[in-house]
Amino acid sequence: MFELLGAGIVGMLHVKYMVPLFIGSLIGVVGGALPGITITMTVIVVLPFTFGLEPLQGLACMIGVYVGGETGGLITSCLLGIPGKPSAVATTFDGYPMASKGEPGRALWLGIWASILGGLLGAVVLVAATGPLAQLALEFGPWEYFSLFILALSMVAGLVESSLVKGLLSGALGCVVTILGNDPVMGQPRLTLGIEWLEGGVPFLPVLIGVFAFAQIMGEIEKSAKDSPEVLTQAVNLRVSHVKVLWEILSRPFLLLWASFIGLVIGVLPAIGGSAANMLAYDQAKKFSKHPEKFGTGVPEGIIASESSNNANVAGSLVTIMAFGIPGDAVTAVMLGALTIHGIQSGPLFISQNPVLAYGMFAAYILAHPLVLIMLFVGVRWVMKIVIVPKSILYPVVLVLCVVGAYALGNSMATVYVLLISGVLGYLMVKFGYPLAPFILGVILGDQIEINLVRSIMTDANPWLFLTRPISGVLLAASVASIAAALWQHRRMQRKLAADADGDADF
Amino acid sequence: MPIGPGYYPRIVLAITALLAAGVVAADFFSRKEQPKPRQLNYGMVAAMFGVFGVYCGALPFLGFRIATLLYIAATNTMLDMPKGAKGWARVAAVSIITTVVVYYVFERYLTVLLPRGRWTDF
Repeated sequence: MFELLGAGIVGMLHVKYMVPLFIGSLIGVVGGALPGITITMTVIVVLPFTFGLEPLQGLACMIGVYVGGETGGLITSCLLGIPGKPSAVATTFDGYPMASKGEPGRALWLGIWASILGGLLGAVVLVAATGPLAQLALEFGPWEYFSLFILALSMVAGLVESSLVKGLLSGALGCVVTILGNDPVMGQPRLTLGIEWLEGGVPFLPVLIGVFAFAQIMGEIEKSAKDSPEVLTQAVNLRVSHVKVLWEILSRPFLLLWASFIGLVIGVLPAIGGSAANMLAYDQAKKFSKHPEKFGTGVPEGIIASESSNNANVAGSLVTIMAFGIPGDAVTAVMLGALTIHGIQSGPLFISQNPVLAYGMFAAYILAHPLVLIMLFVGVRWVMKIVIVPKSILYPVVLVLCVVGAYALGNSMATVYVLLISGVLGYLMVKFGYPLAPFILGVILGDQIEINLVRSIMTDANPWLFLTRPISGVLLAASVASIAAALWQHRRMQRKLAADADGDADF
Repeated sequence: MPIGPGYYPRIVLAITALLAAGVVAADFFSRKEQPKPRQLNYGMVAAMFGVFGVYCGALPFLGFRIATLLYIAATNTMLDMPKGAKGWARVAAVSIITTVVVYYVFERYLTVLLPRGRWTDF
């Protein structure tokens, strides 16, 4: 394993891969720092540029975006108090107060170093766990796969903040998209509505691009689009002793490890993503702290917890996508699409069939961290200048790149129309409180669910096998448990909300 | 139920229908009144979707370069109404630079062929 990893790193150091990795990381840092542009959107924008590249070049670029984005988000969180992306929300709680109290350099670099350390801790698990997990998944029959996908869907549906039924319905609607056009088992056209083009089924990338890009951009536009973030008028002094900052982090090893661990676990769980990771890690840091009342006033623990967890989360997401072929969040879903375009089969066979590619991805992930660190050493200041690009320029450019990406997927306008329809759908879903993550996961997993369901029933008509085969039974039980837990959580939250409302009549 | 192309769609659609009924029921029985909606700029959202739809529709006829130029100019104008000559210069600069850069990067370096116009042949 270490030989392969070493070879992967040496291979990655070639200019051919370092250039896309560098460009990806740079775009990621900027995209992450821009408020209103999420990492998902950044990776969507980068996607069409990777079509013409080798698979590993494209993946290196996307991994760069991912790592750079998670780190870049903290710049705006600390210095402007506006989260550059959802997974940096908790960073603003302590990062901004610390920066306003005259220590912007300390806040910023605490975040950056915590990000890098958390990310590299995640790398250890990524490299060590992905292979064995994939090995485990190789033992799976269609029953187990089916149950695994059901578990993934029910977990994602249960973890949304709004209603559980809406989350589940959203996931089911995603599966409905996949039944259109093509029967993946028999290859027979169905529900094509007479549209010849639909016989191949609906491709998931334009759906994903449309849903996420439009939901995000239109969501910003409806709030009035003219405002760009307040610029710090006076030059901020970002000078700080790095030894001191590093010591501040390393003298709290338990915090760093625990926050990274939370990030990792949340990353491994499908489609939950960094925004949950950083809030949970922040909450945990507060619970374990000796002075929880000081949280929110600019304590280093808050920044460390939030930032180390959201970078470790990236490693966790990569574990899931590489071991099982299930995207851990929207960014890895785009990566999955990129793999599919290059004809690479994702799933548990991925690592054993494409060891060079897999270890290249590990290497890209590891090398992205020092790259981002160097980049920020040189140019944090410039990032702050780019952040003020007005949205009236950004949004049209992003949407044009979405169109290019969709068009290039099939060299046809049909995929662009899919993009348009998905865009309207995505915006409406968000407006009516339907979460997007389960929908996208449904679109991605729908065909696989069908294939494994049909295959298992064709092998043995006994439906009880889903429950009596031990791994499959455990997975299904876990999915029931996750829905029950979600119900319980919602109950509790609603009771809390009701109690709050009683106490505060104005609200 | 026989296994065939209709097997899985039936299951999925049945589950979807059940869940949809669940949403209706949940809505019906929930006692909380709707909070007052925030004043949001839905007109702009509709207009943006409209312009984007026109852009998608016009692409095969006008070609990527012309359609994109017009689309970016239109959205940039809508999102930030230009004031005076300087504002219009900004709109022109943004739309021309974006179109040219995107076109060259994709066509020349990334071998992605962008749509040509059926009417304009450009």
